[in-house]
Amino acid sequence: MSAPPKEHLVMEHLVTLTYREKLTENLNRFADNLLEARIVGHKCPSCGRVYVPPKGYCPLCVVATGNNDEVELPDRGTLTGFTIITPVAYYGQQQTEPFVWASVLLDGADTPLTGQNITGVPHSELRMGLRVKARWKPREQRSVEGMTNRGWGGFGDVVESFEATGEPDAGEEVYKEHIF
Amino acid sequence: MSEPRVTVTKLEFPYSRTLGPVLGAFIGGLREGKLLGIRARDGRVLAPPVEYDPETGESLGSEMVALGPEGTVVAWTWVGQPTAKHPLGRPFSFALVKPDGADTAMVGPVDAGSPDSMSTGMRVRARFNPEPKGLVTDLTWEPAR
Amino acid sequence: MASSDIAVVATAQTPSVREANPSEVQLLVPTIAAAIEKAGIERREIGFTCAGSCDYLTGGPFAFVSNLEAAGAWPPISESHVEADGAWALYEAWMRLHEDDIDVALAFGSGKSSPSNPAEVWAQQLDPYYLAPLGLDPVSLAGIQAQALLASGKATERDFAEVVAASRRNAKSNPNAQLSGDFDVDALLAEPYFRQPLRKHDCPPISDGAVAVVLARGERARSIAAAAGRRPAWIRGMDHRVEPHQPGMRDLTSSASTSLAARKAGYDGGPLDVAELCSTFSPQELVLRSALGLGEEVSVNPSGGPLAGNPIMAVGLVRIAEAAERVMDGSAGRALAHATAGPLLQQNLVCLMEGE
Repeated sequence: MSAPPKEHLVMEHLVTLTYREKLTENLNRFADNLLEARIVGHKCPSCGRVYVPPKGYCPLCVVATGNNDEVELPDRGTLTGFTIITPVAYYGQQQTEPFVWASVLLDGADTPLTGQNITGVPHSELRMGLRVKARWKPREQRSVEGMTNRGWGGFGDVVESFEATGEPDAGEEVYKEHIF
Repeated sequence: MSEPRVTVTKLEFPYSRTLGPVLGAFIGGLREGKLLGIRARDGRVLAPPVEYDPETGESLGSEMVALGPEGTVVAWTWVGQPTAKHPLGRPFSFALVKPDGADTAMVGPVDAGSPDSMSTGMRVRARFNPEPKGLVTDLTWEPAR
Repeated sequence: MASSDIAVVATAQTPSVREANPSEVQLLVPTIAAAIEKAGIERREIGFTCAGSCDYLTGGPFAFVSNLEAAGAWPPISESHVEADGAWALYEAWMRLHEDDIDVALAFGSGKSSPSNPAEVWAQQLDPYYLAPLGLDPVSLAGIQAQALLASGKATERDFAEVVAASRRNAKSNPNAQLSGDFDVDALLAEPYFRQPLRKHDCPPISDGAVAVVLARGERARSIAAAAGRRPAWIRGMDHRVEPHQPGMRDLTSSASTSLAARKAGYDGGPLDVAELCSTFSPQELVLRSALGLGEEVSVNPSGGPLAGNPIMAVGLVRIAEAAERVMDGSAGRALAHATAGPLLQQNLVCLMEGE
């Protein structure tokens, strides 16, 4: 039996898995608030750290947090870390131009928002400590469809970007513990 | 508070799997209307053909054994409401079929039309996809005449 | 492995439910906390933690990393994870305790099956060349096995229905069971086929759930149990074995790997009070009973078993927990728990426990 022709040596198989998961109560409320341009996290009753988005527990104290632990945060903060991603073509890739992937620590929060776009500053001038403020989408364009229980897509499609406010940069003590 | 929102996520894995000489021979054989097996170390003929002996783990080489075109149903179940993931769009049987010439059975769909047409020990015949896609689904079984 | 001074000293589990709204981590936080509290230990006394879960259930890569937050991973802990049922996490924790340098370990298992379609997900654990492209779902496979069992003369459809009736009846006394009640065997047999020869009730429910188990060694095991007014469930042996993957290359009507794992775990076929078996489909209970040589006097699945609640990735560890609880409270002197993985009982784990 001779070796099969080369074109038979590869099997193309697309595997698709569909998931339908109800958002947890804490994330559902977070989503409700985002649609109203309000950012509401949870404050741990034990250590006082503020988590946004709220996970429904404090991972350091291992205690549950709930509706009674909600705390509203301002929509401005500090850029704690960033990178510029040059898109590579792969199945599902939607980006075509280099884009910013930044972490923003809202004033009063202990966890940064990740994967945010920063505007108002050229890429070459991005820096840790940059003060930024949310540029909300018009109310009718806000969507939270991308939010998952994994905490990714945690900011949904409610904010266009975070833009530089023009304030003096925050000092190192603000961002050094929250780079990632 | 609003009703809990449902997040719908679709994961897609576009695999391109190289098959190697043994699996490639089998999948390639379907394209030519051939059913192939492989001989294990102890002389048994295995269907479907695997690269390594299931008992000893030794490499079985790539010399293939011709099987079929008919076989015997060893065990079966009836899928009355197939889903989009199943190989047939109409009710069918998933069965363990032992191709003639093989000592083991392989899982495959039997296009029997009705569970009343299925029975343990019945004879079936291989049917090959006239437009092969290079997948195991190029093989279907049907009741032998 | 010979060491026999390692015991289960505390367990906790969530009720099995069709759909839990909390996230998997949120299910684990109180479950792990409850097990630790029942053991009466400080969280920091745990020398090793091992978790069992499967990211494909909820479709979130690295979901198992988030799960670790429920274990309290700061300050840093010594931990491991298996992409498998929590029973295998327990196995690893048990192995770790053999090093004799730590006295307490934690194992947990969790899974939310509700967000996904098990038929879709579990087809992906199969051989990607010959089986997965067929969309071969677990119920279809179980149907084939059931029919093979009938054809072999080893069981009848009535036997399947009797397993279901017993499971639901036993589950009545299990506050964590999802399905329970009194069901007449003839009424069950009158139901239509779902995947001939299986009926809907021969298949497990879809469940979300979590379970945590605390293991301890030697004197620490004794003191923990005594403080709770209970006795340790000593693990006399634990072993797991696997068979070839292709369903047509094994005998689906018997379970050689279960028999071997049981023998290696030290089960000699002697007196046994309780056997908690991972018989996900009713015919599998008959296969497992036979593989283990269980007599009529053994109480099989007093919890109801997986047919009463099937939180995949936790269900095997739940069997160990249920068996252990009955040893710890004194109602069983010798108990066996079984967990399984892969299609149609391909891989099997047996854990043998005894009171003093």
